[in-house]
Amino acid sequence: MDSLQLGSYEFSSRLILGTGKFSSTRVMLDAVRASGTQLVTVALRRFNREQAEDDLFGPLSEIGGITIMPNTSGAATAREAVRAAHISRELSGSPFVKVEIHPNPHHLMPDPIETYEACRILAGEGFLVMPYIPADPVLSKRLEEVGCTSVMPLGSAIGSGQGLSTAEMVRIIIRESNIPVIVDAGLRSPSEACAAMEMGCDAVLVNSAVAVSSDPVAMASAFAEAVQAGRRAKLAGIMPRSGSAVATSPLTSFLGTAS
Amino acid sequence: MSTLPAWLSDERLSADIAPMLSESSGASLERLATEAQALTLRRFGRIVSLYAPLYLSNFCSSGCAYCGFASDRKTPRRRLETGEIEKELVAMKSLGIGDVLLLTGERTSSAGYDYLRRAVETAARHMPRVAVEAFPMTVSEYRGLAESGCTAVTIYQETYDPENYRKLHRWGPKRDFLERLETPERALLGGIRSVGVGALLGLSEPVGEALAMARHVRHLCKTYWKAGIAVSFPRIRPQEGGYQPAYTVDDRFLARMIFAFRIGMPDVELVLSTRETPRFRDGMAGIGITRMSIASRTTVGGYHDPDSAGSSQFEVSDDRSAEAFCQALRSKHLEPVFKNWDTAYNGPVNSEEPACS
Repeated sequence: MDSLQLGSYEFSSRLILGTGKFSSTRVMLDAVRASGTQLVTVALRRFNREQAEDDLFGPLSEIGGITIMPNTSGAATAREAVRAAHISRELSGSPFVKVEIHPNPHHLMPDPIETYEACRILAGEGFLVMPYIPADPVLSKRLEEVGCTSVMPLGSAIGSGQGLSTAEMVRIIIRESNIPVIVDAGLRSPSEACAAMEMGCDAVLVNSAVAVSSDPVAMASAFAEAVQAGRRAKLAGIMPRSGSAVATSPLTSFLGTAS
Repeated sequence: MSTLPAWLSDERLSADIAPMLSESSGASLERLATEAQALTLRRFGRIVSLYAPLYLSNFCSSGCAYCGFASDRKTPRRRLETGEIEKELVAMKSLGIGDVLLLTGERTSSAGYDYLRRAVETAARHMPRVAVEAFPMTVSEYRGLAESGCTAVTIYQETYDPENYRKLHRWGPKRDFLERLETPERALLGGIRSVGVGALLGLSEPVGEALAMARHVRHLCKTYWKAGIAVSFPRIRPQEGGYQPAYTVDDRFLARMIFAFRIGMPDVELVLSTRETPRFRDGMAGIGITRMSIASRTTVGGYHDPDSAGSSQFEVSDDRSAEAFCQALRSKHLEPVFKNWDTAYNGPVNSEEPACS
């Protein structure tokens, strides 16, 4: 069976869903179910043990077959991300942590230096570390070396819907990587998710594109199908793109035919 | 007066906002609203973050002509003691609130820095996010607040017109325009994560105020790259003292201003308080505004014991309960979020300590 392997965990779905930005918890839960996802990420900011109605973790943990990956969105430094990871593990029991460190709270671009440091510490502590990173092939290898479970390069800025603007860098990351590569952030439409999978990504993470759609449930299902189609196409072998037509007078005719 | 900073008159910092503020520019209000809504949705999704103010004290040493707590008002003075602050916080928590804004007047011996810092420590034990709207402080004082769990500081310039500022601030420490103008920077240097800025709309000519606010935000973003900036749009409300605003800022202009800020600054928090009417608040939620106050009491002690809380700083326009307001948001397919922060991220943001010891 073709499955996504993250640590000792296996997932048949290659669509990871973010759980913020939805119009209600009910709609979010319906979208999670419709997506067929088995791995969702929840910000520690949105864990609320004191008010059930405001809490995202409780209702998600009641859905069967879903693994929850807390994320450290809000952290500006490695130190804060490490602290958030510890609290998240305490609250959720999950071995996963999605390390998100964005010191600028406006554009939310990940800080490669702080991210590297947090991942080094957390991987050493036995977490299954999934860092959200700039699409940087060198940083990706560095994170692999310190024991990250996957790397999650951004397609474009969070919530921007600019698609896979980092495609060329992601291609290099995929080519070089020994750990799963998951495109995270910026995907706007199912066709972009499909393209990322065809390119060889191991999974994609989507949030805004589903949450802000007029019909998040239908959009979640559309993303699920697109991710499956892209993965099947990749496994089937995609016809190579030819760079040019074949000349009628071959350039190598002067070499004669092989004897 | 000391020399004003160059950014205050740097038109390049507000060149994109300026045309949107003019009705004759051809940018129809509806078109601006459509664009503002799309940007808000993309960046912030369908959620509105909620907070509530907690008035700690109405002692004040300044003579702001427009404020119900100015030192010449006859209003009885009171400050909450630690036990009372706890009761207020518990009452607020029972409403679901997880994000509190602590307010005082200008610094006095009755309600000074040590008092405020203790209040922050108390609040941080109950609330994931604590913000302060008080008097200007030094960098080291702000660092102390950040270490005690203060995440954000709101400090309105009130008006960006220096001449008018001097007339309106009749006495007290708040008379120093420049000192106040530079307060957000001291807060950021002290490790406070996010600063809230704004002008009290109605005090001065509104287009000029909007442009100066925009320049202020741009200056802060360019200078302090880790800073979170929130922009508020308070309009003067009736208050004890009976100050009548010199300029009218009608709903259409205020909406235009908010849309212009959203379009010009797609990822900055834009805040609307209960100064505004239910109709205006409901209309603006999600089409520019991303952060709103809820179930506000503008009296000292107003949550635990509203009957004996005394007079208010200003009259609120939206006195709906937390539940009624949330229902209104939900009917617009917006999710009210009470906790959108975590204590894991509290502490001075620019701390150079090692990641882990």
